[in-house]
Amino acid sequence: MTIQSDPERNEKKYLHKLADFAQKRVLEIGCGEGRLTWQYAKETRSTVAIDLDADALRVATIDRPSDLESKVHFSLAKSEQLPFSKETFDIAVLAWSL
Amino acid sequence: MVHALSEIRRTLKPNGILIDLRPVLDRWQIEFASTRESRETGRMQDFPVGLADDEAANQSVAHAAQNGWFTREQDDFFSFTYSWDSPKEMEEWIEEEWEGFIGLDEETRQATRSAWALADADARVQVRVKMLITRWKVVAQTSKP
Repeated sequence: MTIQSDPERNEKKYLHKLADFAQKRVLEIGCGEGRLTWQYAKETRSTVAIDLDADALRVATIDRPSDLESKVHFSLAKSEQLPFSKETFDIAVLAWSL
Repeated sequence: MVHALSEIRRTLKPNGILIDLRPVLDRWQIEFASTRESRETGRMQDFPVGLADDEAANQSVAHAAQNGWFTREQDDFFSFTYSWDSPKEMEEWIEEEWEGFIGLDEETRQATRSAWALADADARVQVRVKMLITRWKVVAQTSKP
């Protein structure tokens, strides 16, 4: 099956319209295979992307561009119990997950 | 979902930003598109489970706002397009990925198949998903004396 998603790149456009990711510490909730993560992560200081789907996280880790290896980290975690200290992030992104 | 929003708030810095990005059901438009033309062939059907999910999400963010955790700063709608080579591929996707949330009535299914069959060779079938993006700002917690 040949599927294309968002050929107009509206998602990236609106994401950047509402948030400035430059040098920010970002938490993404519901990252799946990282489709959205790749739209902004390069600009961030660091990105932690979480999901409950271990297989999807495996794909995301494999697909992670080499220049993002030190910047983007994937973690198996649920949003109701985030394994992070208080006041860690500048931006949180609920990625199709609320 | 409310507990998740509480957790997110805990991990955000004072004046931190929450971006809520999600699809919302609104009888998404189906169309065929070629380099020469594009035309709507019908609309998806919204099912009660999908509508209930949207309502639950809306109630959660409303609850977070009422509790003084976040303030809404900006929101917008845009379309996120899924595109397939043929109506058959679209129908398979709907059945596999969106089953129970949205559906395709027979009239729209036939209209889409007919329009695609008569269209130019490069025609694809598209669904325009309605997306809501909202920017919320953390409300600083007041320290008790």
